[in-house]
Amino acid sequence: MGALRLAATVCAALLAWSLPAGAEGIPEKYSPVVIRPAGEPGRSEFDLTAVAERAKRDNKRLYVYLGAKDCAYCRRYESFLDENSKELVPHFLEHNYIVVDLRSTLSVTQDKLLIRVGDSSRPYAEFQKAIGDVRARMLVYPMVWLLDGNLKPLMQMPAGTGTFQTVPEQLEILQLVE
Amino acid sequence: MHKTNLGGRALLVALCWTALAAAATEADKPRGLPSGVDHTATSPEWETIRGKLFQNRSIDTTSGKVQLAVPLRAPFGAAVPVKITSGLPQLPELYVKRVYIVVDKNPSAIAAILDLTPEVGQADFETRLRVDEYGHIRVISELSNGELHMASRYVKVSGGCTQPPNRDQLHNIGKTVFRLPEGVRKDAPTPAEVQVVHPNDTGFELNQITVMYIPPHFVRSIKVSYAERKVFDADVDFSMSENPSFRFNFVPHGAGELRAEVEDSKEQHFTGMLAVSLP
Repeated sequence: MGALRLAATVCAALLAWSLPAGAEGIPEKYSPVVIRPAGEPGRSEFDLTAVAERAKRDNKRLYVYLGAKDCAYCRRYESFLDENSKELVPHFLEHNYIVVDLRSTLSVTQDKLLIRVGDSSRPYAEFQKAIGDVRARMLVYPMVWLLDGNLKPLMQMPAGTGTFQTVPEQLEILQLVE
Repeated sequence: MHKTNLGGRALLVALCWTALAAAATEADKPRGLPSGVDHTATSPEWETIRGKLFQNRSIDTTSGKVQLAVPLRAPFGAAVPVKITSGLPQLPELYVKRVYIVVDKNPSAIAAILDLTPEVGQADFETRLRVDEYGHIRVISELSNGELHMASRYVKVSGGCTQPPNRDQLHNIGKTVFRLPEGVRKDAPTPAEVQVVHPNDTGFELNQITVMYIPPHFVRSIKVSYAERKVFDADVDFSMSENPSFRFNFVPHGAGELRAEVEDSKEQHFTGMLAVSLP
C-alpha cells in the first residue's frame, strides 16, 4: 500500500494535467460563488468580504472550498460532489450553506495565499490563527472551512477532504458532527 | 522519436491512472463505520491486543472512571490531540497505576504505557498521536487494586504514520523542555507539560526529495520525576506524534526539580530539567 501511495502521489500532477478541461471547481449544481484570486502571480488574494456580508445579512453559513486546478485530490472531491449532487444539494440548502469556491493552483503555497476581509488582508497562516483554526501550520489542497457570517469556524475541519468523500460522511460534515 | 515519446507518455499516464485507480479503490473501501459511529465497539485488532495485555481480566467500559476526548476528525492524522481524564483522585490507598493508550489500526498499536505513582495527584494526561487509518483509540486505566476501566473513541483520520514530519529542528533533537502553564500549586495537582524535540520517525514516511523511506528513529521512553521522586514513566513509540509531549500533573510539596530522562530507539539519552520554586 505504501508503494501504491507513492505512485499515486508522484503521478498526481500528471493526472491533473490529463483531466478534461472544464472539470475544475465545485459543480454548478451547488450554485457556488466562484472567487478568483487577485494579485497573481507573487501573491494570490481571495476576497471573502462580499460572501461574508451576504451570509451575515441572510443568516447563512459558508462552505468555503479551496481547490487547485492542478490538484488530483481536488478533482476527486469535486467528482464526488458531482456524482452525488442529487442527494447532497438538498442538504447543503437545508443546512443553509452558501458554497464558496476559491480557485487556486498548487504553486500558491501558504506564504503566497492571502485572505481579504474588508480592509484586512492576511496571509494564510495569520488568517487561520485569527479565526482559531489549527490548520494554520500547513496549507493542504483541497481545504474546506465551515464558517458563520462573522467568519468564525462552525467546527474545526480536517486537512484535505478524504475523510468526507462518502455521502454519509459529507452529511456528517454538513450537520457539524464532531 | 516524437511518436515514441508520445507513446511513452501515454503509457506513463495509463500506468498512473492504474496506480491512482488502485489507490482510490483501496481508499474507497468501506472504512469501518462511516456514519452513526459506535465509539465503544470492539475490533479484531483490539481483541488481539486485549488478550495479550489483559488476558481474561474484566474491563469496565461504563464506570466513567476514565474518559477520553478525541475529535472525530482531527485536522492532521499525524497529530491527533488526545485528552485523558481520570474520574478519581490519585491517593495512596487507591490510584491509577497504569494507563495504556491503544490505536487499534496503527502498525504499532500500543502507543504508550504510562506507569504512574500517587505523585501525579490527578491522572489526567494530554498528548498527540499518529493515527494511520479509521479506527478506535482506547485508553485503559489500571487501578492499584487491579481494576481495569476503559474509554474509547472512533476517529476518522488517516495517513498519520506516513505523513512526512517537519524536519526543521533536527539540530535540536533531544531538547527536552518543561512548562508550567498554570503556575505552581503547593500540595495540589499542578499541570505541567514536557516536550521532546524529536522527529519520531515511523519508518513509513517518505523523504519527498530522495524518494527514500526515512529510517525509523523514535523516542522509546520518557521518565519524569520531581524532587527525585518518580511521577511517571512512559514507554512510548512512533504512534506518538513528532516532538512527543505529555501534559500531566504533579504535586509539589516543596521546591525541587522536574526532571525528564528520555531514551530513543538509537539509544540516545536526553535530559530535561526545570527548577520549581513554590510561591
